[in-house]
Amino acid sequence: MGRYVLQRLLGMLAVMFVVVTIVFVIVRIAPGDPAAVMLGPDATPQDVAALRGRLGLDRPLLVQYAFFLAQLVRGDLGESIFLNQPVLSAIADRAEPTFFLTLFSILIAAVIAIPIGVLSAYKRGSLFDQSATTLAMLAASVPSFWLGLLLIQFFAVRFGLFPVSGYGGPGASFMTRLSHLVLPAFALGIVSSALILRFTRASMLDVLNDDYVRTARSKGMSEFRVVMKHAFKNALIPVLTVIGLTAALLVSGAVVTETVFGLPGVGSLVVSAVLRRDYPIIQGALLVIAALYVLINFLIDMLYLAVDPRVRY
Amino acid sequence: MKFIGRALLTGLVALGISPVAAQTPGGVINVATVGEPPTMDPMVSTADLVGIVTQHFYETLFTFDKDWKVTPLLAATMPEITEGGKVYTIKLRRDVTFHDGSPMTADDVVASLKRWMDLASRGKQTASNIDKVEVVDPATVRITLKAPYAPLLALLAFNNSAAVIMPAKKMENPLKEPVGTGPYMLKDRKADQYIQLVRYDGYKPREGAPDGYGGARKPLLDEIRFVPVPDPNTRIEGAISGQFDYVDALPVEAYDRLKGQKATQPVVLKPFGWPVFVMNTKQGVMANVDTRMAARLSLSMEDMLAAAFGSTDFYSLDAAMYPQGYVWHTNAGTEGKYNVADAEKAKALLKKANYDGSPVRILTSRQYEFHYKMAQVAAEYLKQAGFKVDMQVVDWATLTQRRADPAVWDIYITHSPFLPEPALIGQLSESSPGWWSTPARKQAVDAFNAESDPQKRVELWANVQKVMYDETPSIKIGDFNALAAQAPKVEGVVPAPWPYFWNVSIKK
Repeated sequence: MGRYVLQRLLGMLAVMFVVVTIVFVIVRIAPGDPAAVMLGPDATPQDVAALRGRLGLDRPLLVQYAFFLAQLVRGDLGESIFLNQPVLSAIADRAEPTFFLTLFSILIAAVIAIPIGVLSAYKRGSLFDQSATTLAMLAASVPSFWLGLLLIQFFAVRFGLFPVSGYGGPGASFMTRLSHLVLPAFALGIVSSALILRFTRASMLDVLNDDYVRTARSKGMSEFRVVMKHAFKNALIPVLTVIGLTAALLVSGAVVTETVFGLPGVGSLVVSAVLRRDYPIIQGALLVIAALYVLINFLIDMLYLAVDPRVRY
Repeated sequence: MKFIGRALLTGLVALGISPVAAQTPGGVINVATVGEPPTMDPMVSTADLVGIVTQHFYETLFTFDKDWKVTPLLAATMPEITEGGKVYTIKLRRDVTFHDGSPMTADDVVASLKRWMDLASRGKQTASNIDKVEVVDPATVRITLKAPYAPLLALLAFNNSAAVIMPAKKMENPLKEPVGTGPYMLKDRKADQYIQLVRYDGYKPREGAPDGYGGARKPLLDEIRFVPVPDPNTRIEGAISGQFDYVDALPVEAYDRLKGQKATQPVVLKPFGWPVFVMNTKQGVMANVDTRMAARLSLSMEDMLAAAFGSTDFYSLDAAMYPQGYVWHTNAGTEGKYNVADAEKAKALLKKANYDGSPVRILTSRQYEFHYKMAQVAAEYLKQAGFKVDMQVVDWATLTQRRADPAVWDIYITHSPFLPEPALIGQLSESSPGWWSTPARKQAVDAFNAESDPQKRVELWANVQKVMYDETPSIKIGDFNALAAQAPKVEGVVPAPWPYFWNVSIKK
């Protein structure tokens, strides 16, 4: 077990190194220039060149890479070119909306998808099952930005129940900030629920036909107990994997939803950094996101240990 | 049309008659902007968004009145100009303090102007004409020019790449703590979330009535919050729901949705600016003047504007570099050279130019959708005239980088508000991408810049415009209007290319 964990940790480090290198190179070879963005449309090429020099962007790529790695080893992700603050602090500022958006989205998705998925599998072929799978397909096909705009239209503009955009003004209370997350969390949660529903249904169908379920039934157990205690617990493993990966995807991939709702999260930070060519932010944020992916995958594997007695390392 | 008329009327009334006397101080407004400004240092950047936000806490010696004439702001009066236009003696107001409480002195002004000449694009452009900037006494500074340079005051007044006045001790680069003299102070900035400005209680407005960007600036609101909302649809919905009190830069398609709403109303700034196709005169296909003229004659500006802005409520055909209503308006040189769409004439010119069929590389971006739509229409007209076209659609950051390299493009598309002083137009500079540098340009532009008599300058500008049409370093497509939205409870906002919120209040 200890050896396995150590191996995984070393593997994670190697993955991170590859990610860091790829991100650094891609960011630098992509066209665009942070100096030109900062100086605006009427800046002369000479001004742009001077600012590039001040930012150290005129140095050879290898020198910049070595400098970046040296910073990284010291735990320093550098300073944003545009935000006037360290990269880590910029990411930390954006962590709260992204964390709660992910949490609520996953909760909404799970609450919608798991019971329907279980029931759908149990009543396979019924009208309920057919309706559920059709709705899941619909939810999977709906772009989250479109659903977001629809929710804004009804619940923010027409009924005025929630704010349209942002994350609260100066001094906004925690509850006010959370109220800004309701609509985006539903937009993301509904879209994410489709995948989880389909996985839950498929996984339940698998286990409902297994021998141990038949055995449980032959023992005279109630259907509820058979389904929930014997079938559902075993069907949960692939569902957990999907939920974990969806969470990881949401941390980094809620970009469109964050943009539509004007949420200052990690996703929108990356997008604005890419548009501005804020290299340190792009590198730092992608590094953190990659680390989260790797960590979540690791945690899912550890969770297998808890829920599946057959899994031993 | 009726609604546009009403919206315009609101603006015009506000321009002419100040409602300040009847206004009640207090309150907070939320202003939705297109994004996060790249910096809080108005000297460093030429981005409009930087000027819009920072003009509330940083001020310049001069500014522009409602007729776009230069008027004093931190200067006490207009300067005394002597020695044939070479020496500007500027008296400073004595009642101005910085946000840290220290008084503004001539030392601060000289240090600020030197920083501007070192750092700002427009400052560097001006520096080559300046011999020295010096303190005369604590309330007077003197600028000595190498030769008469008429755009100086406009450059000192402009809020873009601006010659703002900072305390001599707080002007590090990059700026750590913005400290200005404006009616509002920067209290907090959470990038991509909000920029919070609060009233500066020590602010002393100029005497008299508000007059465009000049006159009395009264900080009536307690707070102004600029909220970056990059998605245009979200800005529209935020206006309609009443979350934002003022929403800048809306797509014109939103006009019908905004009219008749309770929480907001459309505001049209007519005219706002001009889209332009800038030619690479240094290298490649468009280095030949006949090829450039062929491109101009091949285009239908009407079709391009219609594709870009939909309705004539939001655009107008106009060959002149400045529309009617501006002192600079003239049709000199434009006859037979605008909205011609004559493929045969263009072909004849291409033949004369020995055009070899090399593709015309049009560099454009979808960051501004109207640029892209105009490019698509232009490409078809250029093809009809015999050009080969290579459309290069990139993001704005890539465009601003690529346009600096004369080897990789032939035409790039941009736009500009109508600038108060023609000398501020980028394409007139030899160093601006496009690199227009000919004896005719030099003669016309130098004469215009050297002349200080306003009437003679108007005549000389007509000559510059004529040369621009003769040599076609760029092609103006037309005039377009800007759409914003404003809550009915907000009063005192004057439609302006760089909206400002002093003298603005909330109806009780």
